[in-house]
Amino acid sequence: MPLKGAGGARPLAGFVARRLGTALLLLFLLSLLVYGLVFLAPGDIARNLLGTRNATPEALAQVRAQYHLDEPFLRQYWRWLSGLLGGDLGTSVRTGEPVSSVLAERLGLTAALCSLAFGLSVLVGVPAGVAAALRRGRLADRLLVGGSVVGVSAPGFAVGLLLLYVFGVGLEWFPVYGTGTGFLDGLWHLALPSVALALGLGAFVVKLTRAAVVRELEEDYVVFARSRGLGGRRVLGVVLRNAAVPVVTSLGLLVAYLLGGTVLVETTFALPGLGSLLESSVLFKDFAVVQALTLVTALVVSLVTLAVDLAYLAVDPRMRTRAGVGR
Amino acid sequence: MSQATPQPALRRRSILKGALTGAAVLSLGALLEACGAQPSRGDRAADTGGQASAGRDTGKEIPLLRVSLPGSLSNLYPGQESGVLNYYAAAVAMEGLVGVDGDGKLVPALASAVTKRDDRTHVYTLREGARFHDGSPVTVEDVLHSVTMAADSTVSPGTASYWADLESATQTGPNEITLVSKSGAVAFEWLATSAQALWIAPKSYWESTGGKIGTATSLLTGSGPYQVTEFKPDSHLELTRNPHWWGTAPKVAKLRIDFIPDDNTRRLAWQSGETHASLNVPLTAARQWESIKGTRVVHTPDRSYAGLTFNTTVAPFDDPHVRRAVAHAVDRAAIVKEVLQGHGQVATALSTPEQFGGLWTPEEATAKLAAVPQYEYSLEKAKAELDRSKVPGGFSVDLSYPSSGPHLGTAALALAAELKKIGITLNVKELPLEQWIAEINSFPGLTFFWYFNTTGDPGEIVSWLLGPDNPAKYENPQVSELVGRAATTGDPAARAELLLQAQQAQAADAAYAPLWWGQSALALRDTVGISGYSSYTMVSQWPTRIYAAV
Repeated sequence: MPLKGAGGARPLAGFVARRLGTALLLLFLLSLLVYGLVFLAPGDIARNLLGTRNATPEALAQVRAQYHLDEPFLRQYWRWLSGLLGGDLGTSVRTGEPVSSVLAERLGLTAALCSLAFGLSVLVGVPAGVAAALRRGRLADRLLVGGSVVGVSAPGFAVGLLLLYVFGVGLEWFPVYGTGTGFLDGLWHLALPSVALALGLGAFVVKLTRAAVVRELEEDYVVFARSRGLGGRRVLGVVLRNAAVPVVTSLGLLVAYLLGGTVLVETTFALPGLGSLLESSVLFKDFAVVQALTLVTALVVSLVTLAVDLAYLAVDPRMRTRAGVGR
Repeated sequence: MSQATPQPALRRRSILKGALTGAAVLSLGALLEACGAQPSRGDRAADTGGQASAGRDTGKEIPLLRVSLPGSLSNLYPGQESGVLNYYAAAVAMEGLVGVDGDGKLVPALASAVTKRDDRTHVYTLREGARFHDGSPVTVEDVLHSVTMAADSTVSPGTASYWADLESATQTGPNEITLVSKSGAVAFEWLATSAQALWIAPKSYWESTGGKIGTATSLLTGSGPYQVTEFKPDSHLELTRNPHWWGTAPKVAKLRIDFIPDDNTRRLAWQSGETHASLNVPLTAARQWESIKGTRVVHTPDRSYAGLTFNTTVAPFDDPHVRRAVAHAVDRAAIVKEVLQGHGQVATALSTPEQFGGLWTPEEATAKLAAVPQYEYSLEKAKAELDRSKVPGGFSVDLSYPSSGPHLGTAALALAAELKKIGITLNVKELPLEQWIAEINSFPGLTFFWYFNTTGDPGEIVSWLLGPDNPAKYENPQVSELVGRAATTGDPAARAELLLQAQQAQAADAAYAPLWWGQSALALRDTVGISGYSSYTMVSQWPTRIYAAV
């Protein structure tokens, strides 16, 4: 990786520090925004907690006082923020458990699901995109492009149900729901959900990769290299390296898409992950959990984007100059 | 208890779906008599579809029974998360002083006997030899501490308000606990059941967990027939037979309850043969389920009430002619037939027929409730009422329904089509359950009321809808007087009569337009049966009734 060398490390550290600083500011603004949105959303947490029974005004008041729901917005936000700065993510109103343990129980599953789906979509999507670009206009290309249009347009839960019907009930290759026990059984249980989640993403990766490779193939330098007698493989190497820039950049954004997709897929496959937690917490107006989930998601996206930018620097030397790194 | 629960309602794990506890302040049912622990009546469950008790009991042990639930649970303790599914789960592991039988009557649980010293004083004798899951004996101290916890709004926000009527809970003998009610309300006797507001755990456990029981790390611990061995929120729950339980050992050795929120996934899981029983199958999908080999679907009344509530203080519903016009425009029989596919009963009143257990059979109660004056379906009469109102030309009004109750939406659209013919525009809209609850609590002119009674107290819903602070803002001194008298009338027959009179008096004013009393559907494999299945089974120790069938 051409980032090291004299004078490279310090500017790089500065670059990373600047980016982390921006990310922190973004997280702060986001937390305020999300807290505000949940605050303003219709619904009443105290009523949600007491259910639809005939709750007395005293009972409602008691619950509101207990969770400080009767305080003004900024005071509530400050209460949450100061807790966070002290390392306390707060307590879930819905379950009565500390948010940190609620997250800890579920983080692993969603992380595994997302990693599998991400890995699948990249491992399949990138080669397929390159293959389509190299066979542009031919039948294989059309099939791949057509297939990816279907993949992008099919909603995750519908694909999930279809997979369940075929591979779970029909062929009985995979379990229909749940998490399983142990590593291998867990992986087996996550196979269908991760395919359902990866399908849309993978199709997107195919289209993205194909477009990038096609564009590079049309560049003058390719014609020039070929006319100079460079072998197909060496030319392809250069093309792929150049095409990698837009692909790698987009992959960072895809992580956010992936996390959003877990909401539906986890519900379909009855998986106790962060996605299903987010859905119920938002509806319940469970502030602390929604905040924590938003921040975790935003943090992951920020870190991935940073990693992508660093990879970007590695791939494209021109960017190093622009970013003020490695001069 | 709660509005908004039944089948699809249970899709979300939220509490809102259906808290079980009754809001009722009134109740009938003589406790002394109830504690005679009569066996429940047979299967009135299966008035349609399959029978819960089909097949011959082989007497064989069931090593593992898998049950799928339509929602998810985040916390097993109903005091914290008080959805109806939490009650089903907790009823297996924990006990109250009293429980409920198949007819909705109170029966002994951790108390072997109950006496009523006077209208306010309930004396419970603790069962001798009862033990918790860890083998330690159940003591008076444990019971008293559990009452304190259930009444504590921090530990049990879901149930604390029901204990507001508790004046004192004290030890009055070596094995005797006395609970004193402030008001003397008959409904007080339901508080000490695990079907409403009491789950008894060791005092030491309450203390060591800081009151946070029912989580994945602090599993529910009690004295019930099953012990929770594993709980993964929103995923599954595993229980094993409790060797220390005082009752006859059940046939099911191990129980696994899976939470599958998506109805399609749940059906596919059923098709793949992974589960033995599935609760609250969506009414609209019951036929699909029934067509799966080796499956029977049992429909049973679930003691739910669905109806329209008119806010009698908001124009144009402050005009009784408008309310009557709408009531005449509802074709209840068609809604039950078409929307509910026959799996329901036209509601003629507020109380459900199943709640007069011990006094009347559901059939007898249905006949009695039919005596409440009705607004027959007639667009001519509806139009005539509207013509006599302040808005003869019609008006426009919104009616929202929760996304968890799509059949309410279909019924609303059917009503909208009828109302349009007499010049009333009904704008129907769907809301997420939580938003819907917020909206109905802002008391707009016209709302749905969807409520699941849990107790066997016929006054449960009446005391709410016709009592003070009712959602229709309805005031009628005669009705209030009748409801007030019913609250403290101990004789079941006299109390039922007062409640009927109150509903008859209200019907003339049409503050409420009852629509239907609901049913819920349970899917069972042919290899298992449930004896004495009724609408109360799931809030009792239900796995003890399950047998291996041939």
